[in-house]
Amino acid sequence: MPILQIKDITKVYEGKVTHRALNQLSFDVELGEFLAVMGPSGSGKTTLLNVISTIDEPTSGEIIVDGMNPHQLNATELAYFRRRQLGFVFQDFNLLPTLTVEENIVLPLTLDQQPLEVMESRLTSIVEKLDLTAILPKRPNEISGGQAQRTAIGRALIHNPSLILADEPTGNLDSNSSRDVLELLTKINQERKTTIVMVTHDPIAASYCDRVLFIKDGEFFNEIYKDDRRQMFFQRILNVLSLLGGGQVGDLSTIRLP
Amino acid sequence: MTFRQFAYRNVIRNSRIYGAFFMASFFSVAVFFIYSMLMFHPDIERGILGEVSLIGMVGAEIVLVLFTLFFLYYSLSAFLEARSHEFAILLHLGMEKRQMNRLVFLETMIIGAGSIIVGIIFGFSFSKFFFMIVREILHLNKLSLYVSWQPFLLTIGVFMSAFIVISFISVYFTRVRKLRDLMKGTTNYAQTYSKVHAIYGIGLILFTYLITLIIAQKSFISLLALIPLSATVGTYYLFSDTIPLFLEMARKKRHFHWQRYRLLSLAEQTDILKDNVKMFFVVTMVSTLAFLSVGILATMSSYTTQYDRLNPLGLVYKGDIDNPYEKNHINSLRLQLEEKGLSYQLSRFVVVKQTSSFTHNEVEVFRESDMNSLVSSFNYPLINLESGEAIFIPYSEESLKKLKNKIVHTILQENNIPITIDSVYPKIVFPTSIVSVNSIVISDEDFEKITRLISYKPIIQPVYHLFTFHIPQWRETKDIGQDIDQFASSIYVKKQSKFSPFYFENAGLNYSYILATYSLFTLVGVLVATVFLLAAGSFVYFKLHTSLEREKRKFDVLKRMGLTDAELKKLVNRHLFPQFFLPWGVAMLHSTFAFLMIQGVLREFIDVSIAKEVFFAFGFFVLIQIVYFYLIRWRYISHIRS
Repeated sequence: MPILQIKDITKVYEGKVTHRALNQLSFDVELGEFLAVMGPSGSGKTTLLNVISTIDEPTSGEIIVDGMNPHQLNATELAYFRRRQLGFVFQDFNLLPTLTVEENIVLPLTLDQQPLEVMESRLTSIVEKLDLTAILPKRPNEISGGQAQRTAIGRALIHNPSLILADEPTGNLDSNSSRDVLELLTKINQERKTTIVMVTHDPIAASYCDRVLFIKDGEFFNEIYKDDRRQMFFQRILNVLSLLGGGQVGDLSTIRLP
Repeated sequence: MTFRQFAYRNVIRNSRIYGAFFMASFFSVAVFFIYSMLMFHPDIERGILGEVSLIGMVGAEIVLVLFTLFFLYYSLSAFLEARSHEFAILLHLGMEKRQMNRLVFLETMIIGAGSIIVGIIFGFSFSKFFFMIVREILHLNKLSLYVSWQPFLLTIGVFMSAFIVISFISVYFTRVRKLRDLMKGTTNYAQTYSKVHAIYGIGLILFTYLITLIIAQKSFISLLALIPLSATVGTYYLFSDTIPLFLEMARKKRHFHWQRYRLLSLAEQTDILKDNVKMFFVVTMVSTLAFLSVGILATMSSYTTQYDRLNPLGLVYKGDIDNPYEKNHINSLRLQLEEKGLSYQLSRFVVVKQTSSFTHNEVEVFRESDMNSLVSSFNYPLINLESGEAIFIPYSEESLKKLKNKIVHTILQENNIPITIDSVYPKIVFPTSIVSVNSIVISDEDFEKITRLISYKPIIQPVYHLFTFHIPQWRETKDIGQDIDQFASSIYVKKQSKFSPFYFENAGLNYSYILATYSLFTLVGVLVATVFLLAAGSFVYFKLHTSLEREKRKFDVLKRMGLTDAELKKLVNRHLFPQFFLPWGVAMLHSTFAFLMIQGVLREFIDVSIAKEVFFAFGFFVLIQIVYFYLIRWRYISHIRS
């Protein structure tokens, strides 16, 4: 059963120069799937993520999350939809600098007025899983990038959302932290059956996913499913990427094999 | 593009960012200019405001300059802080530190020159309006607009040097930070407060309040010296340590803290407070001073309007029975009044001191017919006493109420005259300084019976003469009897005798002194309040402006996480409210206690209640602040939403 259905989404930015960021893009994401969306710069990845996260309105087409179309809700209902159904992980973490790690993680629950017992029990279980116990009272500027991203993942998970949207979660991390974060996301995806849609530039990051969707100039380009071996999957992703680049591989980041 | 052009274009093309700093400077210049227009006014130099001392105005102007310096320095540093990213790019491109200083200097001078010109134009066009207000407040006949080079030169000179000084200071005192930090623009958040200081903070403030209450009750004026110091230190510690401690304690209570917006707003308050300790402290102290000056102003104004009622007599001359100057002085007063063409009615009293058997204290006894001659000149009800009857003479409004229902049976001991005092004269006829607390009027028959005088040692003069001049145009008696005043002070200075044999009081002269003090306070108070209103709001605005980008990012994240619009507004309220009202609240509390004290002390000297005036002044300030709050909130929300 698909938890997220994208049906013929088109997004046109009007302005001095009209720009078609998404063009009749359609795909489904199954419940519990870990999907990566790849594409060169300007291919519409971030627009897609914004449209799914209801920050941006599609020009035409329809999005169904868990059986309902969030774009038909009014502003308040939309806010409630986001706070209960969606979790976000950003490239630059976007933790609130005034709050401690612990407070950052429980923030979505306090906004939703959950009782303290629920908050504490969820916090304990998540903190253990994410290995954040030692840094709970620290401020975001006192912790490393990997720890910050793990905190952000904790914040995205604590309210048990049906869909997690990740925008280049490893973009600001070194290779070790990247690996930690990706393994963590995989583990969460497997254990909790949380659906994750991750936008990324990085083929290594993409190789952790169940499926990789390639888009180019706002249109569907290709998709591949994962192999038994991650190494093979990574190789195939690279093949598609080189095809996607059309021989000019300037768009691709340097590849370091783990 | 030369370096100068670069600076110029920086300013011109970023007018929105520079706008805030420009506005702050421009307002300061305008206020300063208008005030110097008043200071150099030819009529004021000729003394039209009576005894308003030019020194007072110059003093106020100096305070204004110092405050403006601080304020501009603060604005400029906030402004530079907001542009740290821009400077980082310039430094990254290879600009020397020296060149950057020059850039800041040039830009400041461009903005400074612009604000001086615009401020003077604005100030000049509004000075007539300001003069009209001053004329109304001070009851002047006319205060015309004039043109003179002095205020222009003073304003340009003072502000040019101020901008030069400030641009140097802010460049050299800006924290030298690493390029990398400038690029990231992060601020370091660390908890630093000490519990000892926190206790000092709250303790000193409570101690100050206690002292004010003690002074209000017992009039220990000597304790007054402690107040400024303990209030200042206490307020500083309150902001730097006590409130952070309370916030930290609140944050440890999860049941309280992990609630809806509290999680965010408490954390933010901690940081805001930490960043703004100095600003909150300065705003609080300045506000307290402004409140006090406005309150004192209100008191003075109420005293001035009540003066007529409290001092019904124009001139009062009180002399001992053997006063050798009596005849001379009274004749000279009459002559002077006639020369001036002022109508008057002279009443002469012989007042005898006796001992009352009821209290065993001395009473001053007035004669019925003497009193009637005075009260008839006021058109007040006449006194009609039988032998053995007496009435009290009230010395203040309060005593009037107190004595109203008092009945006393007593005997004037020296002459064994029994009397019953059963009422009080319903009007105040003598100023408080003339009559004693125990003054009564007895019938002429009883007064004749007084033959033996009071005879104990401390009472030197058992009988005195009192001459009262009832003058309907009492405000014009300022110059009457100046020779007597000078004579009295010369006796006092030379210490020829221990006591002067006479006492002279001129209500018109006293009134002119009071009016002059009042005028001075008005000018200073209006100025301080204006500058303060401008400054306190702008401080907050600058702080908000500096952190706007960071705040916008924060609200973007929160919106993505599902913050509704209504919640966003509430969060903004909680973000802005303490910045606006915390320093004000503390200042209000401070001034409330100060006024309790002033009221208590005043009750001893003059019979004036200031509660109503102070209440109105406070209400006015609160109203302005609320308007300001909503104005800034509106701008802030629209910035964040964009």
